[in-house]
Amino acid sequence: MSEFLRILEDEVQIVALAFMATVYTIRLIWMFRFKAGKEITKPVGSPRVGVAYSMMNVAMPWAMESARKNLSFYVQFVIFHLGVLMAITATLILPYWPEFFESEPIVRIFQLFMGAAFAVGLIRLIRRITSPVMRLISTPDDYFSVALLTAWFAAGVFAMPNQYEVSEWPLILFFGMTTLFLIYVPFSKISHYLYYPFTRYFLGKTMGHRGVFPRKKGGEKPAGLE
Amino acid sequence: MSDKTINISDVVNLPLDLKEQKKALEQKSPAVVEGKVKVYDPNKDNVKNLLEMLKNKLSRQTVSSLVGCVHCGMCSESCHYALARPHDPTMTPAYKADQIRQIFKRYIDWTGRIFPWWVHAKTPKNDEDLNRLKNIVFGTCSGCRRCTLNCPMGVDTAVLVRLTRGLLTELGIVPEGVFVVDKDSWETGNQMGVSQEDYIETLEWQEEEVQAELDDPSFKIPIDKEDCDFMYTVNPREIKYDPRSIAYACKVFHMAGESWTMPSFGWDQTNFGLFSGDDKLGGYIAKNLYEAAKRLRAKRIVISECGHGYRSSRWEGYNWAKYKQDIPSESVLITLIRYINQGLIKVDPSRNPLSITYHDSCNLARSGDLTEEPRWILERICTDFREMYPNRSDNFCCTGGGGALSMVEYKPLRIEVAKVKADQLKATGAKLVCTSCHNCVDGLSDLIKHYKLDMQVVQILDLVAEALVIPEKNEKK
Repeated sequence: MSEFLRILEDEVQIVALAFMATVYTIRLIWMFRFKAGKEITKPVGSPRVGVAYSMMNVAMPWAMESARKNLSFYVQFVIFHLGVLMAITATLILPYWPEFFESEPIVRIFQLFMGAAFAVGLIRLIRRITSPVMRLISTPDDYFSVALLTAWFAAGVFAMPNQYEVSEWPLILFFGMTTLFLIYVPFSKISHYLYYPFTRYFLGKTMGHRGVFPRKKGGEKPAGLE
Repeated sequence: MSDKTINISDVVNLPLDLKEQKKALEQKSPAVVEGKVKVYDPNKDNVKNLLEMLKNKLSRQTVSSLVGCVHCGMCSESCHYALARPHDPTMTPAYKADQIRQIFKRYIDWTGRIFPWWVHAKTPKNDEDLNRLKNIVFGTCSGCRRCTLNCPMGVDTAVLVRLTRGLLTELGIVPEGVFVVDKDSWETGNQMGVSQEDYIETLEWQEEEVQAELDDPSFKIPIDKEDCDFMYTVNPREIKYDPRSIAYACKVFHMAGESWTMPSFGWDQTNFGLFSGDDKLGGYIAKNLYEAAKRLRAKRIVISECGHGYRSSRWEGYNWAKYKQDIPSESVLITLIRYINQGLIKVDPSRNPLSITYHDSCNLARSGDLTEEPRWILERICTDFREMYPNRSDNFCCTGGGGALSMVEYKPLRIEVAKVKADQLKATGAKLVCTSCHNCVDGLSDLIKHYKLDMQVVQILDLVAEALVIPEKNEKK
């Protein structure tokens, strides 16, 4: 392995990660400087249960009509995010435990997930370009973020065999993109995962307090029967 | 019925109508003179003022909703405006929320301040832009929160719309109807400008009606009686247009042997602050109610049938008024369940033989906690109850929510998008649609008339009163 690739996989990633963590920390401090809304009413339900329900919403496609009615979209969402998870995992394992990718089945599994996520990325990009609704609400950042991730998955597919002795270019491309990614992410919509716990926490807390979450399906005991 | 669709630019470019504002200024309306209700001033730097107010009004909750949207577009399939107008992408909730989000990004957020074009960040240029913003947030969203509950990220678009409405209200850039109702609320303590004299007279009239019906001259609607079990609060619409609903409630309380009262002031459980986004007005109206209960030493506050009234009085009002909830408050539905369950009143379901479906008010189902309660009652007071689909917190808005009924300029669009609700109602095949909200009664009645549905709107209390078994000695001979 060349010294360039070694530094790119190791020190450059650490610096980029540290940059991302720093920006995120500042971002969270910024967000927490806004006043907190206070709920001073007597609860009907449990804010904690509401928060738990709200957080778990992502894993309950049946609980939300938008997911329930668009199961293929939900499956795409799962594949896409599993692809992200696999790609991030690969960037952490490749530099420090390269032997892990000596196993062909493991390489194939990673390629499968990233390849599927790449396909979903393309579908999402096409949807964003062709749907009038999506075009209207999309910003350059939205297009670039999806395109960047999609390209990153493709690079990941080629980098996974980790055969730097054959050619270093797939790995240089993958880690180069990872660096760009880590630096760009805090300023883009990709950082929605940082906000997810907060939006869902706030919504869950309010709705849990009021007894709206967990959502009722019928058969629950009404108030007034105590 | 017409299949014509509204040209949306006709809606978003509606001019700011200032007739009522001018009238209020000429008449030296106290709410305007005291600065409680703001009038539009073209000589002020309204854009700058809006930006300053935005900064001060933001909370962690709203900021998380402003930064959290990924523009996935899932909300477009949950909104009745977007579903009824699939050809019109501007009906997408994310687009509506983006109208304030792009201002936030340009003025407050990072990336938007440095690279505005990259994230479509921009501030309004002039008052015309603010007027356009007014037409979007007041005219194309009923704040039903259906998109909120269907957002994978948990972005509360309805809260962002309300936030924007509140900013515009502070500048007097509001629909005429909103201005008038806000003014009336401040000046009379109720949103329909009902005078105390009219209120008392209406109660006395209903008292006589019930006395005649029960053949019981001793029946009273107690006003300002202290130390009762509960204080009953109503919607001004009941006083003005539907007083029989008060009579029904009073009759039921009487039959249950209840100790109750109504306040002479602080009786309006509705709250236009929820719709105009004016937290100060919201706090004022809610506080009137809470103070009345305290003054009368009532043990509970019972809120008559109204979705936004329940949400405002039971939930938001305490927060707006920063008022500690020392007296419990409940919907009259819960009071009715208690009476039926404890055998304090007897009901005969065979007296309501027509097929009945139930419409969940958005504010009861998605912003309150009442979905099973009305159904529990309905199962006991009618013989043919059939669900509407979707229902409970997935139900569609009556299309008259968010103060839409007071904004006549947006009625054509409101009626057009009501097709979603009309189809939902029609599919039930029911003869009656029951709801527990006065606002929904009017919203549903409008669309039933327009779409020529063979259906009538009733409320739970109407049906309870019909099913009520009155002991023979009380029945009019």
